[in-house]
Amino acid sequence: MNYNNLVLGIIFIPVIGALCLPLAGRVSSRLRNILSFLFILSSFILSLKLIPLVLTGKTILISQPFALGLNFTLLADNLAVFMTCVSSLISAVIVLFSFGYVSHYDNQNEYYCMVTLFLGAMMGLVFSANLILMYVFWEITAITSWRLIGFFRDKAYVLKADKAFLVTVFGSLIMLIGFISIFQQTGSFDLPLIKEAYKAQLIPNLIVGLILVGILSKSATLPFQTWLPDAGVAPSPVTALLHAAVLVKIGVYVFARIFIVNITPDILWHTIVPLIAGISAIVAAGAALIETDLKRIIAYSTISQIGFIFFGLSIGNSIAILGALLYILMHGLAKAGLFLCAGIIEQNTKTKDITKLGGLISTMPFTGVAFLACALSVMGIPPFGGFFSKYLVFSGALAEGRLWIVLIYLICAFMTIIYLFRVFNLIFLGKINIEAKEGSSIMVGSVVGLAVLSLAAGILIYYPYKFAQVATWQMLGALK
Amino acid sequence: MCASLILIPFISVLILNLPIKGMKRLAFGLAALLFLLQMVAVLIPDAAFWKINHSFCAGIFNFELGADILSKVVLFCIGMVSLVTLFSALTFVKDSDEKFNFINILLIAVCGMNAVAMAKDIFSLYVFLEVVAVSSFILIAFNRDMPGLEGAFKYIVLSGVATVLMIAGIALLVLIAGSTNFSLIHYMLIAQNKSLIVSLAIGLFIVALFIKSGLMPFHGWLPDVYTSAPAPASVLLAGIITKVAGVYALIRIVVSMLGFSASIQSILLFVGAVSVILGALAALTQSDFKRMLSYSSISQVGYIILGLGSGSVLGIAGAAFHIFNHASFKSLLFINSAAVESRLGSRDIDKMGGLAKQMPLTSLTSVIGSLSCAGIPPLAGFWSKLMIIIALWLVGFKGYAVIAVLGSILTLAYFLTLQRKVFFGKPSDEFKDIKEAGFSLMFPAIALAVLIVAAGLLAPWLLKGFILGFVPIIGG
Repeated sequence: MNYNNLVLGIIFIPVIGALCLPLAGRVSSRLRNILSFLFILSSFILSLKLIPLVLTGKTILISQPFALGLNFTLLADNLAVFMTCVSSLISAVIVLFSFGYVSHYDNQNEYYCMVTLFLGAMMGLVFSANLILMYVFWEITAITSWRLIGFFRDKAYVLKADKAFLVTVFGSLIMLIGFISIFQQTGSFDLPLIKEAYKAQLIPNLIVGLILVGILSKSATLPFQTWLPDAGVAPSPVTALLHAAVLVKIGVYVFARIFIVNITPDILWHTIVPLIAGISAIVAAGAALIETDLKRIIAYSTISQIGFIFFGLSIGNSIAILGALLYILMHGLAKAGLFLCAGIIEQNTKTKDITKLGGLISTMPFTGVAFLACALSVMGIPPFGGFFSKYLVFSGALAEGRLWIVLIYLICAFMTIIYLFRVFNLIFLGKINIEAKEGSSIMVGSVVGLAVLSLAAGILIYYPYKFAQVATWQMLGALK
Repeated sequence: MCASLILIPFISVLILNLPIKGMKRLAFGLAALLFLLQMVAVLIPDAAFWKINHSFCAGIFNFELGADILSKVVLFCIGMVSLVTLFSALTFVKDSDEKFNFINILLIAVCGMNAVAMAKDIFSLYVFLEVVAVSSFILIAFNRDMPGLEGAFKYIVLSGVATVLMIAGIALLVLIAGSTNFSLIHYMLIAQNKSLIVSLAIGLFIVALFIKSGLMPFHGWLPDVYTSAPAPASVLLAGIITKVAGVYALIRIVVSMLGFSASIQSILLFVGAVSVILGALAALTQSDFKRMLSYSSISQVGYIILGLGSGSVLGIAGAAFHIFNHASFKSLLFINSAAVESRLGSRDIDKMGGLAKQMPLTSLTSVIGSLSCAGIPPLAGFWSKLMIIIALWLVGFKGYAVIAVLGSILTLAYFLTLQRKVFFGKPSDEFKDIKEAGFSLMFPAIALAVLIVAAGLLAPWLLKGFILGFVPIIGG
């Protein structure tokens, strides 16, 4: 089996497939839906096939040189394969959920095309080892998220889609300036060459700052967080896909790829980044406490949890990074589950205002239990997966002796428990305000599936832990 | 033999006008064929084909043609945009006699543009610029309605000012150099070591070309003219005429004749940056579809001039690539505006909404055009902007590079406004009977959109050869 083809397949099956979906949609909507699911599933399966190879410490490098350093360079290592497995698994479940959710809206052809293209671009971004190639895929994800947020076409919604597009493109353009300065200093956009070049000298802080602007805007971290709650106007599977499970992880991933694997920034950034992320986490958690719109609460919760991931990555020791990687997996599963539950609730009760809801546990038992399970995972209650990732991040930070910053995050973790229980109480307990029945079987099946995965990831923590551990060693250069 | 690119369209006009029955019906097919052939002819590698030297009048007026890679890029764009214009004329010029006249004038304009693209001396450049200008007056006023006539009048006046400045500049240069040939003047200018009179001549020339390109602060005529011209004429004007008559001529004069000096570079960079930012800001506030595109043109021309101002091979290659990109995406967007106008009878974007449902292909192609213009990868516009920005950064004009980067966000902002107001909104009942535009507007739109996507995806493969092609030009 040629591993290069596997990597190319993971990227280009969904990218090229996406463009065929509108045509398939003209033949039959069923065919289109199934094809879309299959394209994404194939990315997942091919990613799984890469695991045995990368676990041995080997990497796959595909390189096609072009003028100006705009090389087509792909690199598959543990970190990348871990990320593609997580993203494509969650995306596949979300597409399954979409079969039920979007089946009675217009523009379904565009919807499936954009979702599949998004996943393909995400895979490309994860594997790219050239800054400009990364930037290209980065912007494709921005285009698709623009179309998807504006899916319902209302003027106010489209305005918010435009806002998301403009904020993220602003960030990425600033980041592009950073990339070009790196190019000027090192003469290359290829990360392996940049890594060599920066062994001799320290990367200027200005460049780190410029790149960080792009990363923070994509991951919706303070001060660029406002687009994410607004993007909640998108259909629920889209918010789950883009704004909880996959898209916002791009920033985190690129941070890991550039600043942990390849370039070591000044020691200063080990304090600044946790601080920015910490403020972002606590502000967002506060907003989630007082917000009454269900999807906005979950979106704020995402911003808050992203802070934890940045925290883990920027602490920089192996325990914290391991925790952050597991956090990407656990948070993706659980938060996608929460958004999809919100989708079922919203579709069946026609409201997103949690103060108007109540007692739904009696009529929507499966959704209720799945919501609770995912919420427990986000809170970090054992034996759910979220517990292990949160625990590792904290223990990594304590090992570095960052008591003050740990305290901020500890408060934040408490707030998470409070606001998620508040949401659960208001929606599922108490007396029934709006009658609603359970969602369709495929939708309920998807959320239950995500809840079970969240639980399984905790009980069977050995496997993801092992994989993430090898990835961490490789990132820190300890694996040979 | 490259003179055939000028002679064949000219002879075609003569033959078409012979009093023989049935000639009029041939016109469309013949013109389409010529434009297609021109696009293919650019690929001819034979160096002998692209050189001609004929001395009419010993010494001063030496008629010499030649094409380097820069000229070829422009020649390709001329063929492409003219073909697109020809198709769009099918929808907007209904009467068969009028259509015949339109095609004739279009062919003459193409003659002029081809000659400008290949001229190697300052006097022929001037003469053919006038050919282009005169044919554009007629095209703008083609419908003989009030706005068209007014637009044509504005263009005549401004173009007249530019002409006077240019001919004064030429007179001074011929006086100093004793020749009209670009390279001879170049050597004389070096030898002269910048006297006051040389600076004056150069200043006159550059200002004239700034006016013709519609760069800020000489842009006053451009939005009025683009907006008031009939739809096919605005495609031609925005897509190629001002690019050849203004921007290309400016690049050619600076690169082949004046050479780069700190003062010329700083003027170019400043004017370019001002155009990028102010053009984009002005576009943000427009509610007329074509007017918004016109301001966008000013802004994009600013990018081309920034690339030129960098003075490096990479920057000028980026500028040439951006000329091609601008020709493709701006023609596409003007075709889209024509499609909307032909169905709604209005260009006021505040009164539109949700047309994506009724006009899916127009909507899709306009998204591709807009994103390419805003420099969003993987579309073609991204690569040219990237080249320009990298060139500015490497040469050391970092401030201008940052301005160029931030201009992209403004560009994206006004195009998102446009998309939101016209296509990407709730379908309105008011427009439920609107249909997709006809074949003659859809075909060029789809072809251009495919070209933009293909150029974007293939760009990394082609860039190396493309950039290397510019090395001999900049060498002098």
